Amino acid sequence: MSEPDDPRWLSEISDELREEVPVRAAWRSRLLDDVARSRRPALGDTYDDRIDDTGAAIAEATPRRRRIVLTPIASVAAALLFAALGAGVTYVALSGRNANTLAPIASASRDSATRTTTTLVSTQTPADRETVRFALSAPNASRVALVGSFNEWNPIATPLVRDPATGTWMVSLRLPPGRHVYAFVVDGDVTADPAAPRAADDDFGSANSVVLVTGNAS
Amino acid sequence: MIARMPSAISTRIGMVSLIVALVLGLATSATHASAQEQPDRTLPAQLSAGTRATLERLIDSARVAGLPVDPLYSKVREGVFRSADEARVVAAVQRLGRDLGDARSALGDSARTEEIAAGANALRAGVRPADLSKLRDSRGRRGDHPLTVALVVLADLATRGVPPAMAAASVNELVARNVSDGSLMSFRQNVERDLVGGRSAASALDARTKSMIDEMERRRP
Repeated sequence: MSEPDDPRWLSEISDELREEVPVRAAWRSRLLDDVARSRRPALGDTYDDRIDDTGAAIAEATPRRRRIVLTPIASVAAALLFAALGAGVTYVALSGRNANTLAPIASASRDSATRTTTTLVSTQTPADRETVRFALSAPNASRVALVGSFNEWNPIATPLVRDPATGTWMVSLRLPPGRHVYAFVVDGDVTADPAAPRAADDDFGSANSVVLVTGNAS
Repeated sequence: MIARMPSAISTRIGMVSLIVALVLGLATSATHASAQEQPDRTLPAQLSAGTRATLERLIDSARVAGLPVDPLYSKVREGVFRSADEARVVAAVQRLGRDLGDARSALGDSARTEEIAAGANALRAGVRPADLSKLRDSRGRRGDHPLTVALVVLADLATRGVPPAMAAASVNELVARNVSDGSLMSFRQNVERDLVGGRSAASALDARTKSMIDEMERRRP
């Protein structure tokens, strides 16, 4: 039988390991005092915090850093919030840019229709949009829409709203600077704006109208 | 046993995802804003593949020549909206492309996009290229002032039956005297009112031009 298989040999080793290690009373007392003085670990404490707390000298000499623990889910939620805020701020900045540049209302040259725009030229950035009010007097119409280069000639994109008191159909659009060609669709018939300059482009049957948006009026 | 992610790693992942989402959010809103400014530069799917290819070639030629292409796309969409047959749409785009080129030649290489489009429209109304060049030369002291309004007024008058040469002469005289864009638009409205009231084009144009010049002279200090 070899030595490791001898039960007596294992028992001797075990007894040796279980013997109490002599500790100096003063050291033991100081350790217990330190433990008693240290604060209880709180939720969110890191391992380093707890170690620092056990050493009074370190704790007093070093200002404790507060750590904010962000879980991945909370981080993503916060990120989405920031992204939404960023998008919102951008939108407000762009849409509000010309909030005070409503074009002056021009009186109608004829009683059949009015259109509001500005033709004064000024320098502006491409983001400068102006509010242009389109109006057409058509008391007997049941549906009026606006088509043009600004809405890809889509007849359902920009319907006009009828004022029951006057029979005038109106819509306001924020248009970028430029020369825009447009027409009204009155109950399916395409017609130019009687109060606006005409475009000589009757390639497809009838002429269109022109509106010029030049940014901030000067 | 519950595996718990070390807080330092968790924090780093959180910060990274925060930054990525922030960048994505800003990029998305910037793209959206940019998209709002850009007109649609695609050809309608209702057109046949052959017509779309032909139109793409025409528009590419214009682009290579440095001409504005948005009016061409708009012309295609207008044709589709008005249910024009495809050959007619192609012919309209071809004609507009030629007019844009002629307008740019008449107005000079420094002409703005809007001036070229308005100039093309004036040519379409029957105004001669030489009259556009005269207008360009008449800007006088307002050397950098856009001619867009003057060209729109000119095209409008010609479309309403005023002889193009006569209309060009009047607008040219007003531009040479530095009439403001607002006054030019008033001039157009007044001539239109006279025409609707039955006055002859020559008489209306002559009277309104003189009236505007007299008013300017009176206001001059």
